[in-house]
Amino acid sequence: MQNNADAAVMNFPRRDARDKLLGRTKYTIDVGGSEVIHAVLLRAEVASAQVLRLDVEAARSMPGVRAIATWEDAPGAHGIGIADHPIFARDVIRYHGEPIAAIAAETLEQAHAAAQAITLELAPLPAVLTMAQALEKDAPLVHPDWKDYDILFEGAARGGNVAWEATVARGDTDAAFDRPDVTIVDGVYRVGRQSHVPFEPRAVVAAFEDGRHHIQTSTQVPWTVRHVTARVLDIPESQVRVTVPAVGGGFGLKFDCSLEPYAAILAKKSGRVVSLVNSRREEKMTCLCRENAEIRIRSAVTADGEIVGREATVLMDCGAYGGEQVFLTTMTAHTLGGNYRLGSVRLSSRAIYTNTPPNGAFRACNGVYNTFALERHTDEICEAIGMDRMEFRRRNVVGDQDIGATGQVFEGDVLRPMIDRMQALCAKHPNGRENGQRLDDGRIYGRAMTVGTWFIFVGPSAATVNLNVDGSATLVTSGVEIGSGSMMHALPQIVAAGLGIAPEQVIVKTADTDAAGRDLGVGGGRTTVSIGAASAAACDEVRDKLLAVASEMLQTAPEQLVLTDGRVEIRGRSGSGTTIQKVVAEAETRTGPISGSGAFTAPGIEAMPGCAAGHFIDAIDIPVFAVHDCELAIDPDTGQVEILAYRVVQDVGRALNHRAIHGQIQGGVVQGMGYALHEEITINDQGCFDQTGFEAYRLPLAQDVVPIEFDLFEGAPSCGPLGTKGAGEVPILNVGATIGCAIANATGKQVSQLPLTPPRVLALLDGRDEPLALNHISAIWSDNTLRR
Amino acid sequence: MTITLTVNREERIFSGDPRTPLVDVLRDHLRMTGTKAVCREGFCGACMVHVDGAPMASCLLPVGSLDGAAVTTIEGVATLEHLNAVQQAFEDHDVVQCGMCFPGMVMTMSRLFQTNTSPDRDEIKAAMTGNICRCTGYERIVDALMSIRTNEVTS
Repeated sequence: MQNNADAAVMNFPRRDARDKLLGRTKYTIDVGGSEVIHAVLLRAEVASAQVLRLDVEAARSMPGVRAIATWEDAPGAHGIGIADHPIFARDVIRYHGEPIAAIAAETLEQAHAAAQAITLELAPLPAVLTMAQALEKDAPLVHPDWKDYDILFEGAARGGNVAWEATVARGDTDAAFDRPDVTIVDGVYRVGRQSHVPFEPRAVVAAFEDGRHHIQTSTQVPWTVRHVTARVLDIPESQVRVTVPAVGGGFGLKFDCSLEPYAAILAKKSGRVVSLVNSRREEKMTCLCRENAEIRIRSAVTADGEIVGREATVLMDCGAYGGEQVFLTTMTAHTLGGNYRLGSVRLSSRAIYTNTPPNGAFRACNGVYNTFALERHTDEICEAIGMDRMEFRRRNVVGDQDIGATGQVFEGDVLRPMIDRMQALCAKHPNGRENGQRLDDGRIYGRAMTVGTWFIFVGPSAATVNLNVDGSATLVTSGVEIGSGSMMHALPQIVAAGLGIAPEQVIVKTADTDAAGRDLGVGGGRTTVSIGAASAAACDEVRDKLLAVASEMLQTAPEQLVLTDGRVEIRGRSGSGTTIQKVVAEAETRTGPISGSGAFTAPGIEAMPGCAAGHFIDAIDIPVFAVHDCELAIDPDTGQVEILAYRVVQDVGRALNHRAIHGQIQGGVVQGMGYALHEEITINDQGCFDQTGFEAYRLPLAQDVVPIEFDLFEGAPSCGPLGTKGAGEVPILNVGATIGCAIANATGKQVSQLPLTPPRVLALLDGRDEPLALNHISAIWSDNTLRR
Repeated sequence: MTITLTVNREERIFSGDPRTPLVDVLRDHLRMTGTKAVCREGFCGACMVHVDGAPMASCLLPVGSLDGAAVTTIEGVATLEHLNAVQQAFEDHDVVQCGMCFPGMVMTMSRLFQTNTSPDRDEIKAAMTGNICRCTGYERIVDALMSIRTNEVTS
């Protein structure tokens, strides 16, 4: 395998670049022409209301209208863990932007006009717009019928506006906090939502062909789209086919089914090909954002820095429906509960219903803000016990055979040597500056280093490799190319190395649920790992079949044969063998064409029994670690923060394509800078976002950024193919934490919230920033659980 | 209203509402989908085209104002066999990710190199400020452009 691994490492360039640079690539939004009709959604313009009357009859006779759909067309509800989400509002509207009807017409203008002709009569209901409101004693319930919903995953506590609660309890925290020799540090933290802003909005083109739905869509999860569409339409899943053109950015937003069922219903009703594309305003206002969260952490720490007890509560706003946040409650155990050895720990991780747009998955979801809270809290501990911040981390980070929050045993010393590598990287650029120092231009200098723990979201993947008569190979999986390049770099490199052919000779088919086996989707850093492992297994089968035939042709035992440069060679005797083409041709006369299939799923690392309740997974199969360092300057007159330098040491297992990983680190860190400093979603008293477009939502621009300096840490244990770990998701993990800590270090102030916009930084500097109080999270941990 | 304009050196006639943004004329009427309509506010730069040689956001241009104008789109700057120097640098440095911003990025940067064959890093970044990229974090795009500073751009 060593040879295979070395052969897979290269800077193979992506093959889709040229068409993208020429404007030739057809994304879902580019599918059109006269045969395609256009759909729009009628969306709620209030956050909470009773539907008294919905009448679409007048709209049906509007010019150009071909089909209208409402709740009657979609009887089922979907969700993660709980089936709480109908795709159309029926009796109740739960958020601003919720779909009420879908209309398809010959032109977009006609569809909009027909939507205006729909009669909708509403009676206002009280709305809960914040988690604090949702948790009040007599708060109105977003889902009064929550007890009646189908449970899709057992084991969680639920109740009222608590959609899902996952808890961890390991050891005796009461005893730890009662110890006479500990300092107790108590911190609260809050973050806002982050909008993904993929340049291609969510979009779908649907047709009804030969009695089945064919959905072309801009998604990360073709099999989720197939499943959810079938579920809400109440049809067999086999009646849905999903194919995926090039996807113009995802970042997690497209990890859920969204517009697809509406288009599918309209396509069947109209008999036409239906395009449904979110306008930018809809895309922004119904973005399944990185959720806003509120966090309290209490720690009992000895004078020499041992964390003997930790209790934390994390409130995650899921909006009007549970969605991804239900799953993400699981992750708190491994993000906030990660990084450090804990003598005892209790965690409560809760998804809270509010009458706001539902949230979703966003690159290193849950990890980004929990790392911010944890690393701020860690620096507050250091302050309280008078210990150097790096010394504390060096003493406490998890290492070989240490146990995590749920009792899983970690393998290998990874974080500690990564800290050393970061200090070596920083030592190349000594500048003698101190935190809080005034630079020559009057700005205030700040610096921080943080650590972070993330994981690779593994799970089922399938792959088929067909070895063609010309010696090329076709890889068939349900992977999609969302921009990150995993389908363009890692997969052909892995298959090429497995078969001893050039990566140019590997054809990579993009997802078609009629052609490839089931897959969990492209996200969570899993494409290279899970689809890569399935692909490598498929190559193993192909190689075995190929070598069996070649063995007879060459009169040599298979174990003496190697695949290299498109040939089967006798080991150590270059030129002695024959070409793959000749072996394939011979195989066709004996047994038929050569193909192989491979599969992969989570290996299932064990946790300590009884520690975790309501968790979808109890342990993380592939932990990933990151160490970040940031230098910045704060303008005391404007509150503007400039990043001066940013450094990353990232645990990648094995780096297959250095250039591609560089692209992910640069891009991921910059997205994190936006999150830390200026990407802000605010929700107004109508329950809708104030940021409806690009003008009000400030994305990072070219002049905001710096080249990220990085060092790839290779060799940490991984069950990924060739020792890989996913590299695309983790770069964003501790950017908010590092920038937040650097600003705290620069100003000497308490930094408890993100984003650190100029007004917020100015308020910090001027002492106008009121200390954050989260009175709805009790200091008594058990008060923050339903199980008490 | 009928408007006559040249798109990629070919005369085109548009009959319809003169307020229609150029980007919609290109994408919906001419079915040239290389130009991307992303923000429709003039902020993102994904819909950049050249109008009489100058880079402009086509989402902000009513087609009625373009009678007689010469428009070049991403489909008109190069061929499949022969990229222009900006595109070639982007391909060679493997900087493309999702690709949605790149048609606009190519239009803006190709124009920069027509006016300044040797811009420094700060000048490249300043010129790039009107082209937002959500994937790449920019710096590798800038690296690619730095590699062609003294070469001529053929477009």
